[in-house]
Amino acid sequence: MTRPLTVVIVNGSPTERSKTMGLAGLVTTSLGNKLDIQTSSVDVYRLGSGFTGAITREDVSPDVEEDLRRVETADVLIAATPVYRATYPGMFKHLFDLVDQYALANKPVILVATGGSDRHALVIEHALRPLFGFFQAATAPVGFYANSGDFDGTLVLNNEVYSRIEIGVGDILPQLTALADAAETASVNAL
Amino acid sequence: MAFEIGILTFGEITSDLTTGALPSPSERMMQTLEQARVAEQAGIDVFGVGEHHRTDFVASAPHMVLAAAATQTSTIKLTSGVTVLSSDDPVRVFENFATLDLLSGGRAEIIAGRGSYTESFPLFGYDLADYADLFREKLDALLAIRAKNPVTWEGGMHRAPLVNADVTPRPVGDLPIWVGVGGTPASAVRTGQLGLPIALALLLGPITQMQRPAALYHQAAAAAGHSEDSLRTSINAHGYVGTTSQGARDTMYPYFARGMRENNHQRGEGFDIPRPAFDAQATEPGVLLVGSVQEIIDKIMTYYEVYGISRAIMQMGFGGVPQKEHLQAIELLGTEVAPVVRREIASREEVAA
Repeated sequence: MTRPLTVVIVNGSPTERSKTMGLAGLVTTSLGNKLDIQTSSVDVYRLGSGFTGAITREDVSPDVEEDLRRVETADVLIAATPVYRATYPGMFKHLFDLVDQYALANKPVILVATGGSDRHALVIEHALRPLFGFFQAATAPVGFYANSGDFDGTLVLNNEVYSRIEIGVGDILPQLTALADAAETASVNAL
Repeated sequence: MAFEIGILTFGEITSDLTTGALPSPSERMMQTLEQARVAEQAGIDVFGVGEHHRTDFVASAPHMVLAAAATQTSTIKLTSGVTVLSSDDPVRVFENFATLDLLSGGRAEIIAGRGSYTESFPLFGYDLADYADLFREKLDALLAIRAKNPVTWEGGMHRAPLVNADVTPRPVGDLPIWVGVGGTPASAVRTGQLGLPIALALLLGPITQMQRPAALYHQAAAAAGHSEDSLRTSINAHGYVGTTSQGARDTMYPYFARGMRENNHQRGEGFDIPRPAFDAQATEPGVLLVGSVQEIIDKIMTYYEVYGISRAIMQMGFGGVPQKEHLQAIELLGTEVAPVVRREIASREEVAA
């Protein structure tokens, strides 16, 4: 029995119309062309004081608790962030500081990042990948990066980025298809 | 100078993706000539044929194809697009295009460049590693040959000197030599220093991507003492004009994706450009000249605003768009797009002057 996969984007961008979400959108479009998915996002900069003021998981507000659950129970996580001061912003890390240590174990995670130039491209490998290594996540081998010159507004105009997404999503497609075919839902498992 | 609209073909010999039919080389040659005739009838100013040395392209000798086109047309300018000058002999190139110029009554032009493929280098015994030197040297020789006959040229690392050499026939026209530039800053600078017209080739990406090379071209030309009025810029981009926006995209995409495979590698293999990527290139800020008549008019005007071009050449049919659709697009470009663009640009330049 097939069911829609829940895809949750953790968005580390502070801007409303963000390049990061433009790039993440290409990933969800590609996924959506191949699988039945339900996409939602958690915008770390818009979670409010129930998030920013929380030092431990117990401190978060009920709606933030719901968002964290959504991240933890997603079938597929897209970790999408701009590079800020050489790495992902603190707010982005703060969310993962509150995520349960084992909630992301073996979870498919797709890494997405944007930066001011290609000098930041290895943020995917040097900053994001180790974070999800800690969580023992099933991080996709190919991450997706674009620099501001690749965009017009939030639209990616660099053709290679699209091709790379097709390749990278293709790599994990068997795993995602198997997940969709599994009768049990991840959310049931997590509860 | 009136604004010019041109088309460019590589003469693909590839299958019709609907019927699977593959034109024979002679059929494709006749189709290419038909394109030239239809282009002239539709009011297009320039017809270009690009040089490729591969089974899937019919035009390894564009000057021959253009010579045949010259006998079937009377006003359209005939240009290579490009002539792979680095792997050719400058004397031979001049002779060929001067001959074309005589056959066509002064309509011959050359766009010199590397082109998007590299087969010609081993074929003619050149090392691709020498590309930059070869091009610089041979362009220098070609310009010397065009400037004066008999010609004395000092020679270089790859081409023996010419001493009081008689290189004929002499063209009746100016035999314009453009330089095709794909974005390499040094190439743009060199073109500016020589005061040659620049043909900017934009394959994929933002429409503004060539602003830096274009600026370098103008700076280098000014520094070398060439007046701004003597410079010309053209853009060369892939495209297809249809009666509807969506229809044009649907027609062009599968062929363009096939044509692009070799230029779009992933993990060492050709890869089809994804449709969303193609559609992004078709939007206002993207380089592709694909869409409805109005979209093409608007995009050529954007190119005009960004680069101050006096010529736009649409590479049409890349990947082997079937002849019927190809001819329809030529008609629309010549009869619907070109008059509006010419009028609009003429009125803007009148206001500016």
